[in-house]
Amino acid sequence: MAALPRRIIKETQRLMQEPVPGISAVPDESNARYFHVIVTGPEDSPFEGGLFKLELFLPEDYPMSAPKVRFITKIYHPNIDRLGRICLDILKDKWSPALQIRTVLLSIQALLSAPNPDDPLANDVAELWKVNEAEAIRNAKEWTQRYAMEDN
Amino acid sequence: MDSDMEYSDDDDLDDAMDYYGNEDDIDNVDPKKTDPEFFLYDCLSVDEVEKLLNELVEKLSNTLKITPSLAKVLLNEHKWNLNDIVERYRDNASNLLVSSHIKGGHGKKVTHGTLLCPVCIQSQASDKFQSLSCGHSFCTFCWSTHFEIQVSQGISTQIRCMAPACDVLVPEDLVLSLISKPQIRDKYQQFAFQDYVKSHPELRFCPGTNCQVIIRSQDLSPKKAVCKVCQTSFCFRCGNNYHAPTDCVIIKKWLTKCADDSETANYISANTKDCPKCCICIEKNGGCNHMQCFNCKHDFCWMCLGDWKQHGSEYYECSRYKENPNIANESVHAQAREALKKYLHYYERWENHSKSLQLEEQTLERLKNRINEKVMKGLNSTWIDWQYLFTAASLLAKCRYTLQYTYPYAYFASMDASSARKDLFEYQQAQLEAEIENLSWKIERAETTDRGEIENQMDICEKRRITLLKDFFPTTTNALESI
Repeated sequence: MAALPRRIIKETQRLMQEPVPGISAVPDESNARYFHVIVTGPEDSPFEGGLFKLELFLPEDYPMSAPKVRFITKIYHPNIDRLGRICLDILKDKWSPALQIRTVLLSIQALLSAPNPDDPLANDVAELWKVNEAEAIRNAKEWTQRYAMEDN
Repeated sequence: MDSDMEYSDDDDLDDAMDYYGNEDDIDNVDPKKTDPEFFLYDCLSVDEVEKLLNELVEKLSNTLKITPSLAKVLLNEHKWNLNDIVERYRDNASNLLVSSHIKGGHGKKVTHGTLLCPVCIQSQASDKFQSLSCGHSFCTFCWSTHFEIQVSQGISTQIRCMAPACDVLVPEDLVLSLISKPQIRDKYQQFAFQDYVKSHPELRFCPGTNCQVIIRSQDLSPKKAVCKVCQTSFCFRCGNNYHAPTDCVIIKKWLTKCADDSETANYISANTKDCPKCCICIEKNGGCNHMQCFNCKHDFCWMCLGDWKQHGSEYYECSRYKENPNIANESVHAQAREALKKYLHYYERWENHSKSLQLEEQTLERLKNRINEKVMKGLNSTWIDWQYLFTAASLLAKCRYTLQYTYPYAYFASMDASSARKDLFEYQQAQLEAEIENLSWKIERAETTDRGEIENQMDICEKRRITLLKDFFPTTTNALESI
């Protein structure tokens, strides 16, 4: 395997030394490009109290191409589908090589606080979020309870 | 035959000309006014188009005193409209540069000491750094990697600055100066050229397979272009098959709909029908829809199975869809059935004329063989005597093609029922259809039909076709935006 670029080493060091509040990202023991991520559900969101597992992979041409990120914990969110894939512009056409793992994870955390049902990935969820927000939020809380709480 | 009627369609302009005694002076007729399909265009090679674009780049670069690369960005972002760009530049240069993604607004360049590249996190002397007008500095190594990755994804003129949320476009000179691999440079130039052609409204790539020709015209309406190299014919506006009187947006909708629904339609419209009188099974082997049962000699219409006599030239109605007047009060199921029935009405006719076009080609082949036979036997006619038939066949094909493309228009026009324009369209469509079937019938029986009669019928058909196109040729504004 090719040597790890300085950029990835630096980013990993910084993630370890000054972790972002509410986010942990730890590289896999056997693959330094693969990160085990845990994001805590933001306060005042239906995901509050949940711990969400994600996986993050830095492709060969990172940082010229965006990292690949996916939720492993099931989550009820209009911009995240059943396979955990995330609809977020900076992971697609708005990616910039100057963005970092930490900025990506912060954006994902922000997405949990501010779902955007007008740009949906999970259609049925987005639909309910638009026509009956209260019920959608109830579902999201229930899923957080069921899939993202430690004691389950 | 009510031939008086047929010739009264000429518009007032022609009448006025007749009055002044110009009726025979064909050279004086302006084809732009008399022929709705008249289209002036050139078939250009890649080199010719490059030359044409470079001239514009040079002109703009000289006028505004900017680099040719920036001029290219400006032109590509503004549909190559030089005058518009110059005007807007004079009006408010800064605004124009910002909205064209050339200027980032808050750019400060650092030109001394060492810098840290935010992408590779390496410190280097500032002369190893490059930035655009936005001032975001990155090392040249990262820039070139960025360009290579973008080009490998097919992106060229739309490569942007690497800073987050910065949408300043990278001009060609920086890209080309930093890409080292020759094959990536070539690809960049190829992709950029495609972008330029696509952004220039007067240019369109010929859609023919592997064809390098670019069509150029100042007439931006959905007219028929024929590539002089590969002979592909297509709509200049959208690149699909030529589709007048239907416009570019509607034909796209129609083709998508047909692709979605064709299974149902194919299932419902089988290839054979029974004679409505003697019930013998008939397979259609010619293009003409005026059928005569081989068995009982009953004349009927293939489309509606009605008696052909009732199709007489007075009021041909087979092409018109008759809506159930009480539909608004029916159940949802009945409405869905009605909607499908309506679509099938138009789809069957669309499909049928397309098939007729193919069958008429076969008819022509058979005719050719029979004519050759006759000429060989020397039966009081020469080969030259029969040439008019080929002209007739190609005119028939042209008319039937237009007729086929009236159906998507009619289907979508039928959505807003009871407009006067819809009635006029249906009337003209029905007239055209009747004359076409008449011509087809006569051509199939050419050996026994008088030549004068066929030529007369050809004239009527073409007049009908032109009249319909004159009244309903798709406008540029309709087709322009949503493509």
